[in-house]
Amino acid sequence: MFGQLASLQPRQIAAQILNFALVLSTAFMLWKGLSVATNSPSPIVVVLSGSMEPAFQRGDLLFLWNRGMDTQVGEIVVYNVKGKDIPIVHRVIRRFDGGSKPLQLLTKGDNNVADDTELYARGQRFLTRETDVIGSVRGFVPLVGYVTILLSEYPWLKTVMLGLMGLTVVLQRE
Amino acid sequence: MSSPGKIAVYNLSDLKNTTDDALPNYLNSLKFRQLHYLTDVRLALGYAAVIIGGALFYFDWTLGWDATKAYTLPAVIAYFLLNGAFSYWLWFVEKGVIYVGEKQGTKLSISTRTEKHDPTYHLTATITSTASPSTPPRTLSLSVPFSRFYTSDGQFVAQPFQQWLASSVPVVGQADPNNVTEEIGRGNVTEANVGPSELKDVLNALKSGGGVKGGTRRRG
Repeated sequence: MFGQLASLQPRQIAAQILNFALVLSTAFMLWKGLSVATNSPSPIVVVLSGSMEPAFQRGDLLFLWNRGMDTQVGEIVVYNVKGKDIPIVHRVIRRFDGGSKPLQLLTKGDNNVADDTELYARGQRFLTRETDVIGSVRGFVPLVGYVTILLSEYPWLKTVMLGLMGLTVVLQRE
Repeated sequence: MSSPGKIAVYNLSDLKNTTDDALPNYLNSLKFRQLHYLTDVRLALGYAAVIIGGALFYFDWTLGWDATKAYTLPAVIAYFLLNGAFSYWLWFVEKGVIYVGEKQGTKLSISTRTEKHDPTYHLTATITSTASPSTPPRTLSLSVPFSRFYTSDGQFVAQPFQQWLASSVPVVGQADPNNVTEEIGRGNVTEANVGPSELKDVLNALKSGGGVKGGTRRRG
């Protein structure tokens, strides 16, 4: 297999590498295009915990929309907490201010006993809609995100998958 | 590249790729000057797109969404324009061209393809005269079974391939007259078709010492 690769002309090698790079970059740019369209840095997220059961299970894939900032009570939002890098999917149970002042939200997981004050950063009691929330849920596909849970729980799987993808694209000339 | 090694003879893309690789070697050895502009334009378009994608990835990674937000839309648009141009070039301009070469005012462009589950090599040669651009290009469409130049265990044999190409494409034949072979009859010419004048020609040819030089080297 590698012998075959070594026998290629420089232009052919460049073309094979380009094929691989185009696969990766197209996926990335589609993602970024979706980011721009939804105005959300992360327009698709996977539910990682069971705190929103029975609405969402672990592994559900959620589609977010971040235009129109007037979030209402009952909407499900995804937010980031400063200092933590895992987004949280919870339902809005209170809203404050709004209008001239920035809209602030209090959230709670359907399956949790208490609201999210404990989960927020130290000293933070509400979410600021503009800065903390990355979108509200507009659609979901059950279970398909489970692969990413597996990938994040067993990080070596990522390396294996990426390596295999790279090898097949570079070595295959179909 | 001179000995590509054995391939699996039932793998059609292996057959095509190995033959496609052998073709430039042969033509370049005949002092055709290979022109790479089709490939180069494709590579330039593709790599330009990849560089934009890579740059956006890098700045997104280091600076974050808020800082790169304003540049993301233009970058995405530029990326997909370049990517579209790349695909257009690949499908509508290159159209399977594997070789473009020039020799003494003649440009030879060769594209090849195979059809699914059919071990036949389809080759289209377009010959244009660069010396007199007004002459319309000549196009030749050829097909040959891969078994003509592969042994049963998957070894590519250069000579029958070169003979086939030299005999079928006149510019190649001119460049490599030693490999030009003539199609000898296989019994499909009935005696009725052979008129006395042609017989005379044959007799003259035999008298003058057998001008058909390559014909005897042709293997069935």
